[in-house]
Amino acid sequence: MSASSPDFILEAVDIEKSFGATSVLRRADLRIARGEIHALLGGNGAGKSTLIRILCGLLRRDGGTLRVDGQEEASPNAIAVVFQELALLPHMTVAENIYLPHRHRGLERVRAAERREEARAALAQIDETLAREALDTPVAEIDLHQRQLVEIARALSSGARLLLLDEPTANLTFAESERLFSILRRLASRGIATLIVSHRMNEIRAVADVCTILRDGRTVVNRQPLTELSDAAIVEAMGQKGAMRAETAHAAIRATAGTTVSIEGPGLSVTLPPGSVLGLAGAPGGPSRLIDTLIGANTDLHWRIAMDGALRHFAVPAEAVRQGVGYVSGDRAEKGLLVTLPILDNVVAAARIAGRRWFAGRREARVTQDALERLAIKAGSIDDSPLTLSGGTQQKLLLARWLERIPRLLVLEEPTRGVDIGTKREIYAIIRDMAARGAVVVWWSTEFSELTEICDRIVAFDLRGTVSGVIEAGNISEVALARATGMAA
Amino acid sequence: MTDTIAGAHRDADSYHAPRRASLGVRLLRSYRTEIAIAVAIILIELVVSLWSPQALSYGNIANIAQASAPLILMSLGVFLVIATSGIDLSVGSTFSLTGMIAGLALSGGMAWPLACFVALGVGLVVGAINGGLVTFVGLAPFVVTLITFAVGGSLAFVVTDGHSIAILDPDFWRLNGGELVPGLANYVLFCIVAVAALEFALRKLVLGRWIYAIGSNDKAARLLGIPVWAVRFGVYAASGLFASFASLISLSYISNSEATSGANMMLQAIAACVIGGASLFGGTGSAIGAMLGAVMITVIQNGVNLIGINSFWQGSVTGLVILIAVLIDRLTKMRA
Ligand SMILES: Nc1ncnc2c1ncn2[C@@H]1O[C@H](COP(=O)(O)OP(=O)(O)OP(=O)(O)O)[C@@H](O)[C@H]1O
Ligand SMILES: [Mg+2]
Repeated sequence: MSASSPDFILEAVDIEKSFGATSVLRRADLRIARGEIHALLGGNGAGKSTLIRILCGLLRRDGGTLRVDGQEEASPNAIAVVFQELALLPHMTVAENIYLPHRHRGLERVRAAERREEARAALAQIDETLAREALDTPVAEIDLHQRQLVEIARALSSGARLLLLDEPTANLTFAESERLFSILRRLASRGIATLIVSHRMNEIRAVADVCTILRDGRTVVNRQPLTELSDAAIVEAMGQKGAMRAETAHAAIRATAGTTVSIEGPGLSVTLPPGSVLGLAGAPGGPSRLIDTLIGANTDLHWRIAMDGALRHFAVPAEAVRQGVGYVSGDRAEKGLLVTLPILDNVVAAARIAGRRWFAGRREARVTQDALERLAIKAGSIDDSPLTLSGGTQQKLLLARWLERIPRLLVLEEPTRGVDIGTKREIYAIIRDMAARGAVVVWWSTEFSELTEICDRIVAFDLRGTVSGVIEAGNISEVALARATGMAA
Repeated sequence: MTDTIAGAHRDADSYHAPRRASLGVRLLRSYRTEIAIAVAIILIELVVSLWSPQALSYGNIANIAQASAPLILMSLGVFLVIATSGIDLSVGSTFSLTGMIAGLALSGGMAWPLACFVALGVGLVVGAINGGLVTFVGLAPFVVTLITFAVGGSLAFVVTDGHSIAILDPDFWRLNGGELVPGLANYVLFCIVAVAALEFALRKLVLGRWIYAIGSNDKAARLLGIPVWAVRFGVYAASGLFASFASLISLSYISNSEATSGANMMLQAIAACVIGGASLFGGTGSAIGAMLGAVMITVIQNGVNLIGINSFWQGSVTGLVILIAVLIDRLTKMRA
């Protein structure tokens, strides 16, 4: 490589990294020019997050060279990062989380009022309501989606010249993503560069100029303008040729046996025969109250749930589980994974309870192995910790819990959050297959294209969290959803 | 049942199914902390024997076993609590109080097996109070067990006005020294059975996996439908029972109840768990590790005595060993 060019804010060449015996990055290259929005693409486990952790100095590289701003040693405030697994201080307020990490000078006095105002302004750029109402709330009390916004606001207000955003939109609604993108464009025009990771192709095309694609830790596409690459070429470079072929015939599913679930509540009364897939669309507030009731986590008396005609009122999740309700949480770190237990326990945990098992049997190893293979989960061994898995792979692990025993009612919160394009298709197929065997599926997603593809009925919630309409099979479209949820683009 | 669920597409070169090591390798890996402690215990004994050859004699080893039995039993209970990311500071006081109650019952003429059951009730009650306040009232385990630690410790003095009680029952020694299995003293038998049963339960029973799951992520455990409150309550009750049982084994050997008998034991039991690989954040460790931790602490005390170091140094030496143990643990986990 030639001497570093002043046009690049970041140059990483031949980066190598391995964890024990598994080599994760083998000669990864990445160059980011000033003021560009650069997409970093690759399948789950390709090494994107690992590379980002190396770029910001959190992880030591085994080999290769790294230059930030032409310097070997990056100045600490040059880079701001939003990690895939959020890293906020739970007991401090939203405002403190936004201003504290920056411009630390040890004993410098915190000018709280001034800083708080800066934090408010930063947050208001991306979400005014949150800035108005939650600025002094401890982070532990706001939900995942709001935490994501706080993280982004923190990075945006840092004054860094390079932003590294690892799947910043995975927890955001369409409108919020749009707002983020317009901020990024504005920053770009001032010379601030962004590296963004996402598995949503239309999003990438909307915001990024160029892309770099990783595959098994190698750079296979190096800094190419996105306009020169077709979707098919990108997917192929990521090593997911199958993804495009898997056509999605939206045949109505008719299961022969199963449970009929009916949901009644303010503005809504639906009956879901076995095999139906009900979508929930809209900002998380509304859907999450319904979901919490369905799974018994926090029962809202406004909603009435009946299974096969019998009214069900779940006081605790254990009761819902006993009635055959399965749940995949959208917040995998807080509410999903058992991080100190091996992958095996994480996968069979649900079947152990549903099956009222006493013994952690030998058969479980085989079941786990099958589930991992079916979801193409990249793992060293089923005895490893789930923390050794990439973000999207952890997500698949949560879904793997429900493959062995298909629940009567399966409640999914963003089950494809962070999952790569190829596997997303497979997950759709798997969910549809579960429905065909009689499961009733309730699916919340912020990705409208996903809902329109799978659901045979969609309940839309508006921004205040109330039901604004039910869209039946014939009328489902992204435009209809955007209108009904008040997120018209 | 698993016939045709669609398999994920895979391009031949980019997906490899995870592979599982052989059982032997897996056991070596999952017990590496325990193996390291066992080796360390042997090394300590060898080093001590350089100064004092009788360290390796049958008599001294029997001494160590006798001295470590109560601590082992107490550590097992404490470990169950720590595995759920809780803590039990009350076990030392429970130990003392149980001894005093048992002493009173025996000196009142109660038959010794009956007196034992009464005394075990002390542990059950304290454990139930701890468990109840933690699970139903939602108080922090540290605070709850700090309270029962204080109250239990003072009650141990109150019941006899501070006097110690000599045990005169001619048969009570059988609880500790008898041989339910010929050739094997009861205190050894109880330890082996308790450790083996707990280790089996923690690894192979779903209930045991729940204990780890709760310590790992209690929100996730609740959403999975695990009866979190029942398990939590259960581990505190078990911890109380183990502490009481430990006290009886000790009393049966020493034949003298004192209100301060358990004063140092709570910290030692927690230390034993930590040395044995348990994280105070929960979700890790093993019963075997807790046992080995307790043995190690006893071996160190024994060694300090044999070498003739002033016994005031014991605490410092133990502290140093805990530090080394957690550092080694940290290093081996980092490499893996
Ligand atoms: N601490 C670790 N120990 C062992 N392997 C690890 C560790 N961290 C990551 N890996 C492995 O490194 C690979 C790359 O992980 P990484 O998180 O960088 O993927 P990613 O491209 O960000 O994927 P995703 O799209 O799912 O977020 C994965 O196969 C993962 O299993
Ligand atoms: Mg990642």
